[in-house]
Amino acid sequence: MLAGTNSQGGVIDGDRLSSLVDSERGTIDRRIYSDPDIYELELERIFARAWNFMCHESQIPNTGDYFINFIGEDQVIVVRDNDGAVQVLLNTCRHRGNALCRAEQGNTKSFVCSYHGWNYGLDGRLLGIPGQKNFYRDQIDPAEWGLVKAAKVDDYKGFYFATLDPGAPDLHDFLGDVGRTGMEVLLAQGEVVAVDGVQKNIIDCNWKIAVDNLFDWYHVKISHRSAAKAGFLNPRMMMPMDQMVMLGEYGHAIGGPMISEAQQAEIDQLSDEERADIDLLSDAERAKLAPRINERRPVRKKATAEAMGPVGVRASGHPNIFPNLWISTRGMQVSLRLPRGPFETEVWWFTFMPKKFTPDQRRGAMKFISHSFGPAGLLEQDDGENWSQSTQSSRGVVSGRIPHNMQMGLGQDEVLEHPLGQKRIETRVNEHAQRWTYKCWAEWLRADDWDDLMAMRSPSPTGRI
Amino acid sequence: MDAGERLALQFDVEQFFYHEAALLDDREFRAWLDLVADDMHYWMPIRRTVTRDNLDQEFTKIGGMSYFDDDKDDLVMRVEKLEAGSAWSENPASRTRHFVSNVRILETYRDEIAVEAAFHLYRSRLNGKIDHWIGKRRDRLRRMEQGSQQEIQPGFQIFQRHIFLDQTIIRSTNLSNLF
Repeated sequence: MLAGTNSQGGVIDGDRLSSLVDSERGTIDRRIYSDPDIYELELERIFARAWNFMCHESQIPNTGDYFINFIGEDQVIVVRDNDGAVQVLLNTCRHRGNALCRAEQGNTKSFVCSYHGWNYGLDGRLLGIPGQKNFYRDQIDPAEWGLVKAAKVDDYKGFYFATLDPGAPDLHDFLGDVGRTGMEVLLAQGEVVAVDGVQKNIIDCNWKIAVDNLFDWYHVKISHRSAAKAGFLNPRMMMPMDQMVMLGEYGHAIGGPMISEAQQAEIDQLSDEERADIDLLSDAERAKLAPRINERRPVRKKATAEAMGPVGVRASGHPNIFPNLWISTRGMQVSLRLPRGPFETEVWWFTFMPKKFTPDQRRGAMKFISHSFGPAGLLEQDDGENWSQSTQSSRGVVSGRIPHNMQMGLGQDEVLEHPLGQKRIETRVNEHAQRWTYKCWAEWLRADDWDDLMAMRSPSPTGRI
Repeated sequence: MDAGERLALQFDVEQFFYHEAALLDDREFRAWLDLVADDMHYWMPIRRTVTRDNLDQEFTKIGGMSYFDDDKDDLVMRVEKLEAGSAWSENPASRTRHFVSNVRILETYRDEIAVEAAFHLYRSRLNGKIDHWIGKRRDRLRRMEQGSQQEIQPGFQIFQRHIFLDQTIIRSTNLSNLF
């Protein structure tokens, strides 16, 4: 049960896996960022098992529209079939394994292999094999040789996910309360449509370094000092003291600034129209009109408030859908951190705009977004540098033996439970969400399959934390 | 425009590009900003690998997502950031070399000139990181009043720089330099 077997047939001792993350002491074994066996195990036991984000429905609106994505290092075609359903197909011909799609996106009637011409329908069925009669002498059954489909495909209100593991729970249960609350951030301004273009770049860091940074409100003031100095970041945004953390099963988490109960109570009094008006005000106007509603926090509509729950609605930090989907605070972007070996990560940014945004609102939002993240983003430029150097400088023989420190706030806080069930930690800048992410990460690696993971996973914590 | 005028214009535009490249490579970013017009649009769309029948999807359009979509104020902000000691992606400072070639003047109208050029931006970063960005630029230049006759540098300002990379996924840790 505790021994993990990687694809090379090597065995990683279960005790060793358990010792990589010491959540009691708040330390992390640096080898999780460099060990090739651990990396292989991640691909098998996390990525090939979890629900992975594919794309938004508006990216592939028409029959034959496709978008290439990855589940770990497995390439998949996400395509709208003739019935209007979204299919997720492994992008590998059943004959010699050639890639069917070599473009990143497009529109097609079918997928014809460029090697020998095997032809697959939009639903993955094998439609034709050249020489079926003359060369195969009709001794091949095309029904057996269709493209391999994801075990399950589902969407959360238009955001498509897929899992390659038939043992996975439904998307709804996989996300759980915290994951669903996180997804609702994307819909806080109503229905959205994808903006054309996914930013992609390769950072020479381990994917987990990029993931644990998204909960990190400790780095902002230092990492992004130059962006503040240049006037891009409001200095008050740099290190908000009031923080809320929500920890969900399977490793989902939300961490960052919060809307206080008093502020939310004030928002609760407002109509949706008033909420929308306040959300559009400048900082100064907002401070005058609604002094208790912190000017930088989202003022969420009633429907969103209901969907996010009484606690979730007050979270204005960053959700991560385990393992690698970051949802940005205002819910207009998500970032995938795709593993490319222990030392490389492909960072993808998808952008969405609320359908009802006016051109002015859209322009304003796009301006902030396009200057924040992505390789030229005033924030991510410097993040990339730090993640790269954190990865590279942790891998020396002796440097690799000493643990990373993840102790901030350890044992200092209490999990509070709302009468309706949602749990949260209200505190200052902390590393609770990072510790939780790694604790769950270790459980995913130790579990032999979904049944095992469901049996051994830690419940969302209660009490002292 | 007769052959002599065309030659002179070609010479002036090329000399201007070399001067501009030298300012960027010598980290004279403030002086470079003087060459940027107030109505600048500095833009780098996302390029994608597409099949020949989907070539209309190769580049994102204006209003879609991009890597750069800057006006002059944004470029001033980038320069202020570059100059801050805490711009970790550029401190220690990168070493860059901007090459410009295949300069073709596409159109002139009054004091405005549309130019297409190929570029190669080389970056050496820290001790071991090498990046190359190659592509084409569509620039629009505006001829400025000549200050004094002694000025050797031809007087232009750039009011459009559209940058089309010859790579799709950006294979560098960041795009922290100016193109």
